[in-house]
Amino acid sequence: MSASLLRKVGSALLILVVWQVLVQTGNIKELFLPAPLSVLDAMWAMTISGRLPWAVLVSLNRVVQGFVYGSAAGIVLGLLAGAIGWIEDVLDPWIAAVYPIPKSALFPLFLLWFGLGDSSKIITIAVGVLFLVLVNTMTGVKSINPLLVKAALDLGASRFQVFVKVILPGSLPNIFTGLRLGAGMALILVFITEIEATKAGLGFLLWESFQLLETKDVFAGVVTFGLLGVATTWLLQWIERVACPWARR
Amino acid sequence: MLLLELREIGKVWSIKRTGETLVALQAITLDVTPGEFLILLGPSGCGKSTLLQIIAGLEKPSGGEIRFPQQNGAQKLTSMVFQEYALFPWRTVAENVVFGPEVRKVPRAEREATAQRLIDLVKLRGFETRYPHELSGGMRQRVALARALANDPAILLFDEPLAALDAQTRRVLQDELARIWAETRKTFIYVTHSLEEAVLLGSRIVLMTARPGRIKRLIDVNLPRPRSVTRRAEAEMVESIDALLRDEVKQAMDIEP
Repeated sequence: MSASLLRKVGSALLILVVWQVLVQTGNIKELFLPAPLSVLDAMWAMTISGRLPWAVLVSLNRVVQGFVYGSAAGIVLGLLAGAIGWIEDVLDPWIAAVYPIPKSALFPLFLLWFGLGDSSKIITIAVGVLFLVLVNTMTGVKSINPLLVKAALDLGASRFQVFVKVILPGSLPNIFTGLRLGAGMALILVFITEIEATKAGLGFLLWESFQLLETKDVFAGVVTFGLLGVATTWLLQWIERVACPWARR
Repeated sequence: MLLLELREIGKVWSIKRTGETLVALQAITLDVTPGEFLILLGPSGCGKSTLLQIIAGLEKPSGGEIRFPQQNGAQKLTSMVFQEYALFPWRTVAENVVFGPEVRKVPRAEREATAQRLIDLVKLRGFETRYPHELSGGMRQRVALARALANDPAILLFDEPLAALDAQTRRVLQDELARIWAETRKTFIYVTHSLEEAVLLGSRIVLMTARPGRIKRLIDVNLPRPRSVTRRAEAEMVESIDALLRDEVKQAMDIEP
């Protein structure tokens, strides 16, 4: 084991052990900070009962739908706006106006317009993802070396072929940056939209546990959110490696 | 029959920021015959690269006429090799070479055979699946050459293709270019600011003036190949053109000749 890895594992284990000991010796109340083993216990119990898997499934459904719609729209609009001047002009004021708004602030409006069901949540997530992906995709298109476009035209490519064979692959690395940021945003927004006006989902489970002062269950929800974050990052990194084998990492 | 006729080509740039206009090229009239190795030689900023872009159809001339008497149909007669290689970083060597035939919808088997033949010609067998960033500068330029050849153009245009390479690599690639020119019997139009390179490679040199770029002199290079700048005939040729070129370089640098 390398020294670096040893330090990392050591740091994690040390904190967990001290934490566990502090709680067990009564120095910290479990109501505020349950011991690591209690949290594991709670997670196990919630998994057996089906509460946790069901909550994850409900939330994932919202996250995946919102992420897919938002990123698809973001990629298409970003490519068009990056490559075609007048489309950028048309989109620019809307991007400038909506990009800085925390998308969670739009949730009440979407509740009003689309009701209490899944659609208002999915749309909030989609909008949050859309702008991140759109802006990064545009940056990607504009970062393409104009000489590559010239070379493609010189070799006989049509405008459309330039778009598909140069603009699209050339902006892929930036598109993936947008997707990674978007995935993080999607997890934030699913939690926020599940606090109110719902009876299911990981955010609901976490918030309900807080209101019942079931701190162990709150922690179980937090840890699960963390695991979901890690899993999405890994998944996207894997897709990026397959899709952009030329990009040095 | 002539391959390319340039008649009174001019190019004027307007600089948006200052509102000035800049005459890059003036009254360029030139005939290119099949199979020649034509060098466009001149100081930096004399418009030789612009002239090349105009021949490639990537820039429009402000005036004058450009004719390809042997052209039939829409198929371009030229392909360009850029100084900065301009390889597609997301395509392997083989995928880069095949780009031209691919966008022209040549059947797969045929275009892959073409690519392999050209990869062999530029001596890159075994590197087909490498990405450009995994290659040295000299290898990248050979990929760019193979890619330009894949459309089987009558004329290859070179925009200072060896300027970014170290001296040893440049030396080797100059010999390679001379060999490929002789093997393919294609017409090369080659922009350079290096006089030695011009004498080493060219069958004819177009010496251009400082801006505005005009043709100062046409010089035939009838020396036997392979050439070497250390031999007397070549050295004398370099010597004789050097004074002419130096005047223009000084002019380009705003120094009184």
